[in-house]
Amino acid sequence: MSSRKEAALAVWQARWKGLSRGWYRYSRNPLHVVGLVVLLLIGLAAGLAPYITPYPEHAGPYTNFREAGLPPSKAHWFGTDRVGRDVFTRVIFGYRFSLLLGIVVLSISVPIGVLFGLIAGYKRGSWIETVLMRVTDIFLSVPPLVLAMAVAAMLTPNLFNAMLAISISWWPWYSRLIYGMTVSLREQYFVRELELTGAGKLQILLREILPNCLGPLLTKVTLDMGFAILMGATLSFVGLGAQPPTPGLGTMVAEGAKRLPAEWWSTIFPALAIVVVILAFNLVGDGLRDVFAEEEV
Amino acid sequence: MERNMESLVQVKGLSVGFRVFEGLLRVLDGISLRIGQGERVGLVGETGCGKTTTVKSILKVLPQPPAVIFGGEVLFRGKDVLRMGRRAVHQLRRSSVAAIFQDPLQALNPVFTVGTQLSDIVRDWAAGTGKRLSKKEIFRRCVEALAQTGMPDPERIMTCYPIQLSGGMRQRVCIAEALVRPVELLLADEPTTNLDVTIQDQILRKLDELVEEKGMSILLITHSLGVVMDLTERVYIMYAGTIVEEGKTEELFTNPKHPYTQGLLKSIPKLTGEGISQGIPGRIPNYLHPPSGCRFHPRCEHVMPICTQQKPPLTESEGVACHLYRGDVR
Amino acid sequence: MKDVVLEVVDLKKYFPTKRGTVKAVDGVSFTVQAGETLGLVGESGSGKTTTAHCIIGLYPPTSGELRFKGQDISRGFERRPLSLRREIRIVFQDPGSSLNPKRHVAQILSVPLKVHRIVGRGERLSKVRELLEMVELPPDDYLYKTPRALGGGEMQMVAIARALATSPSLVVLDEPTSALDVSVQAKIISLLLRLQSELGLTYLFITHDLSLMRNVASRVAIMYLGKLAEIAPTLKFFRSPLHPYTKMLLSSVPVVSPEERALKPEKVVSRGEIPSPVNVPPGCSFHLRCPEKGEACSQLDPTLQEIEEDHFVRCLQFQGPP
Repeated sequence: MSSRKEAALAVWQARWKGLSRGWYRYSRNPLHVVGLVVLLLIGLAAGLAPYITPYPEHAGPYTNFREAGLPPSKAHWFGTDRVGRDVFTRVIFGYRFSLLLGIVVLSISVPIGVLFGLIAGYKRGSWIETVLMRVTDIFLSVPPLVLAMAVAAMLTPNLFNAMLAISISWWPWYSRLIYGMTVSLREQYFVRELELTGAGKLQILLREILPNCLGPLLTKVTLDMGFAILMGATLSFVGLGAQPPTPGLGTMVAEGAKRLPAEWWSTIFPALAIVVVILAFNLVGDGLRDVFAEEEV
Repeated sequence: MERNMESLVQVKGLSVGFRVFEGLLRVLDGISLRIGQGERVGLVGETGCGKTTTVKSILKVLPQPPAVIFGGEVLFRGKDVLRMGRRAVHQLRRSSVAAIFQDPLQALNPVFTVGTQLSDIVRDWAAGTGKRLSKKEIFRRCVEALAQTGMPDPERIMTCYPIQLSGGMRQRVCIAEALVRPVELLLADEPTTNLDVTIQDQILRKLDELVEEKGMSILLITHSLGVVMDLTERVYIMYAGTIVEEGKTEELFTNPKHPYTQGLLKSIPKLTGEGISQGIPGRIPNYLHPPSGCRFHPRCEHVMPICTQQKPPLTESEGVACHLYRGDVR
Repeated sequence: MKDVVLEVVDLKKYFPTKRGTVKAVDGVSFTVQAGETLGLVGESGSGKTTTAHCIIGLYPPTSGELRFKGQDISRGFERRPLSLRREIRIVFQDPGSSLNPKRHVAQILSVPLKVHRIVGRGERLSKVRELLEMVELPPDDYLYKTPRALGGGEMQMVAIARALATSPSLVVLDEPTSALDVSVQAKIISLLLRLQSELGLTYLFITHDLSLMRNVASRVAIMYLGKLAEIAPTLKFFRSPLHPYTKMLLSSVPVVSPEERALKPEKVVSRGEIPSPVNVPPGCSFHLRCPEKGEACSQLDPTLQEIEEDHFVRCLQFQGPP
C-alpha cells in the first residue's frame, strides 16, 4: 500500500472517530436532537417548496378574493390571507427566503470578519491591529438594527439590499471572536515554535491557527443564523426588506398585523414560524457548543 | 509495632467507573484503605491512577453521571458516606472533613476577600453546632487561623483578595480555611505541587506542625514520594486504580516490595547522584479494557502466568498486592 | 579548553509594566561548552526561562551580548538567519501547548523539514519515520495520531523529535519534564542523555529540580531574582554548596532515603518568599531571606567571583574587601 493512501486512510479514520464522538456528545441532550430534526425538516421543506406546498402559485402576486380571510381548515392549514392566499404555502416559501438571507449574510460577513480577526490578532501591537480593530469597534458601536435599517433605507428596499445591510452590521462580531482567539493562540508555545523555526506567516495563520478557531466559529455561525433571520424578518416587518408580494416572514407578519385580532392566523403562524426556526438554530448551536467544549474526565 | 488505632475512615472495596463515549472506564478497582484517628496517611500514585477519584468519593463530590459507583463503601466513623443524604453530607463537610487542593486559585472565590471567605466558613460551622458567635469572635478566630499558617500580617491579609496574594500565601489561606474550624480529617490533594521548593518546604513544615497540634488525621494525596516521606507515617501506593502496596512510610521506601513501587523509586532522581533509571516500560493502561489479573502485569519484569489470570489481594501481613510474595501460589 | 558553543555576557532583559520595570534578567554571564549540559536552576520568578527565551531569540535582550560559536546573536529570531535557527532549537515545558492539537504527528514533524529544506519532498515521510524511531516511538503507531491521543511523555518525545529535525548543535530544554510523572521523566531523561552522546548535542537545561540536575548536568548554575547566585561543576556544587540560597534550596528538596538526607545542608530553614521583581531589595537581593546575612548585605550588591577553580559565587561572605 502506498504511503499516501495509508495516510489518507488514517486521517479519515481519525475524522470518523471524531465525528462519532461529537455526535455522542451532541445527542446527550435530546433537545439538541429535536432542534436538529426540526432544522432538517425546515430546510427540506424550504428547498422543495414548489413541489410540496399545496398551492405553490400563492407564493407570488396571486389573488382570489372569494377565499380571502378564511380561518384554518383542512384545505388551508394555516388559513388564508386578505387576498385569499394560502398562509401555509407562504410560510414555507417564507422559510426559503429567510434561510437564503441567513446563508448569504453569513457567507459575506464570516470571511470578512475572520480575515480581519486573524490579521489583527496575529499583528497584535502593530498599527495594522489598531486600524483593523478600531474599524471593527466603530461598526460595533452602532446598534446593529439601526445600522442595518439605515443602510437598507439608503438603498432601494428589497431582499438583496436587506442582506447587504445585515452583513455590514454583522461581520464585526466575527472579527472580535477570531481576534480574541488568535491573540490567545499566538501566545501558545506551538505558534512560538513555528515562528522560531521560520514557518511562513500564511501557513501559521491558515493551517495552524485557523483550524483551532473552527469549533467556536461553527457554533457562533449556527447561533447567528437564527439571529440573522430574525433581523431579516424585522427589516421586512418595517418595510425595508422583502417587498410584497414576496412572502417574507416579516412582511407577512406586518401585513397580517393590520387585521388583528380577527384574522389572527395570518399573523400568528408566520410569527410562530420565525420563533420555531430561531429556536431550532439556537438548540443546534447549543449542542455544537457542547461538542466543542474542552474534554472533561 | 501496630498502633491500635480506631479507624476514622475506612474505604472498603470501592469500585468506580466513568461512562464516556468509548464505553465504560473502569477506574477504581476495589480500593480499600484505612485512616486511623490522628494518623497521617499518604496516597501516592502517578497521573491518572485514580487518586483524585478516590478523594472525590470520600468527599462525595463525584458527579454521577458520568461517574458510576459499582460497589464498596466509604465509612466515616462507621457511617457510609456514599449512602448519606444531602444534609448529612453537608454536616460532615462543615464540621468533620476539610480539604485543600492543588490549585488554591480555583479553591478561592476571586470576588470576595480572604476575610469574608474565612468568616463564612466559621459562621457555617457555628450554625452547624448551634453556637452563636459574635462578629468580634469570628474575626478573632479567622486571624488566629491565618496566623497559625505562618502568614505574615494576618489582619491585613483579611482584607485582601486572592489575586493579590502569591501562590504560597494563597495555599496558606486555603489551609487556614480548612483549619479555621476543628475538623477530624484533612484531605490534602497535591497541596504543594504548584509551589516552589522553598515554599513547599515551608508549607509542609507548617502542615506538619498544625496536624500534630490539633491531633487530626490527614490523607495526603500526591505524586511526590519525597513529600509523602516528609509528612506521613503510613503510605498507600496506587497504580491504575488499585492499591499495590501499603506500609510504614520509612520501611516501605527503604524496602519496596511491589515491582511498581521499586520501579517508581528507581525513577526518582536522587541527590546522591546514582544516575537515572530507564523508567518503567510501557504506560498506564487504558481503563476501557484494563489488563486482566494484576493490572501491572503488562509492564512487570517478573510477570508469571498467574499474574494474567488472578488479581493478587493486598495481604495483611506483607502489605503488598503481588503474586511474587504469595508462597502458596508459586 | 573545550569549544565554547554559547557565551552569555552581562545579559539583561527588562520588561516595562504599569507598576514599574520588571528586571527579569539582570546581568547574567555564563558559557556553555560543546557537549556539556548546563543546568540553569531557579524558582519561579528567577529569570531562568527569560534567559532561555533570550537565547533562542523569542525576545531581543535589553542589553548584553549573546554569542553562538563566536557569532553575535543578540537579537530577536526575526533577525536571525535561518541557518542560525537551525542550530539552536528548543523543547518547551508544557507539551500540551507546544503541539498544535489540530495537526497530526507527521504534519508537526514535517514543518521544520519543509522550512529548512532538510530533505526533498519525496523523502519527507521517511525522514519523519526516522525521527520518530530516534525518539523511540514506533512510527506506524504514531504517524497519524493527534496530540490529544498521546500521553504527556509521548508528546514530549514528539517535541524532542521536532527540535532535532534540523540537526541542531545546541538544544535549550525549558523544563522538559516538570509536567511529567517521575517514571515518564526517567524515560525522557534517559532518551535525552542517549541522544546527547549519539549526536554530540549541547544542552542548556532549565529546571527547578536540583536532584534532577545532580544526575543530568555537568555544571549547575543557580539563579535568584534575575541574577546568578552560584555556578560550579556538578560534583563540586553538590559537595560544597557555598551560597546561602543554594543551601536553602538544597535543604528544601524533598528526598526519600537517609543517604540523601545526609547530603542536605543542615539547619538552613527555608523562610520568606521571592520578592516581586519590580521591587528588588537594595544590596544583595537575597538578604531579606538570608540566614547568614551580615551588615553590609543590605547595601552592597556582591559580584560573581571565582572562589575555587570553576566555582563562582555571588555573596559578600566570600568577597574580599574592595
